[in-house]
Amino acid sequence: MLPSLGAHPGGGRARNTRAGVPRLTLSLAFLAAAIGSAQQAAAQKVRVTNLSDVNFGLVSNFQADARRSQNICLFSNSTGGRYSITASGSGSGSSFALSDGAHTLPYEVEWSDQSGQSSGASLAPTVTSTGRVSAATQQTCNSGPATSASLIVVLRASSLTQAREGNYSGSLTLLVAAE
Amino acid sequence: MNKFIRIAVAGLLASVAVAEPALASTQGSFGSTSTGSVTINASVPGRVRISGLSDVTFSNVDPSVAASNAQNVCVWSNTSTKGYTITATGSGSANAFTLSSGALAPVPYTVEWAPSSGQTGGTSLTAGSVLSGQTSSATNSDCSAGPSASASLVVSMSSTTLQGMTAGVTYNGTLTLVVAPE
Repeated sequence: MLPSLGAHPGGGRARNTRAGVPRLTLSLAFLAAAIGSAQQAAAQKVRVTNLSDVNFGLVSNFQADARRSQNICLFSNSTGGRYSITASGSGSGSSFALSDGAHTLPYEVEWSDQSGQSSGASLAPTVTSTGRVSAATQQTCNSGPATSASLIVVLRASSLTQAREGNYSGSLTLLVAAE
Repeated sequence: MNKFIRIAVAGLLASVAVAEPALASTQGSFGSTSTGSVTINASVPGRVRISGLSDVTFSNVDPSVAASNAQNVCVWSNTSTKGYTITATGSGSANAFTLSSGALAPVPYTVEWAPSSGQTGGTSLTAGSVLSGQTSSATNSDCSAGPSASASLVVSMSSTTLQGMTAGVTYNGTLTLVVAPE
């Protein structure tokens, strides 16, 4: 006798099938998918290297933006080399600001998925930029592309013309995550 | 009698000692996340700017009364005290504050400076001598925000001088103001 729709003796989840079989199949499938997902997550790794300090030196021209760019090695073994990046500064509330102890000098941060760039997408403090892609094939870029991203730090002329005389410093932290 | 004084200005800069940058970059490790950091250093030198200057024209003045022209000027300084010095030089002999008109004898004028706007008098400047201890209230390098002016420049000619000038003749000269951070 075929069971009627909605009146299955096993609880009503497996419809138009024999009791128990569909549920077992679905459970095994779910478990397999979960294990596969866990293995994939565990294997996703990233690494950021080749970072250098940024030294603007004595900024003599207040009429133009001061810009420093550097090539970074960003490796991700995720599918397609995908990663996200989050930057935070040492200013108040993780803002991008340098300090001379008494005054602050704001700066901006740009990021490019390609090396050799002098401009890129603006990063906001503590805001994650997703959908990034790395071309690096080795975690420290000692084979394949030597670098895979560009970090650009900008002191705007509008900030320089308002800055007090002094020696300013700060730190910028980059958190990269696999995607 | 027409007398014309043109004013030109220049700003000087002074540098600050550049601090040795700390080498503190850190590299990320290989993991599900990776964190690296860099240190950023920049030195901003002491800078000043003078702007908002206008030419000074004494036209058809009454020789029996001294003539004076006061104008509001923007002086900005980024030093910790917002301090500056100012040095004025004229276009006369040995940088004298004088106006000339061809072969006629040059005529003197006086220059006063006040570190606040809206003044009709101030500290007398001597040609080529530095006046120190000035402080600016400007918060923007060209006073486009905050106070619209931060100093007063006053140029005057005495009645005695005016009476010694030839009527209907144009006299002119240039006054140069050099501002430096302090």
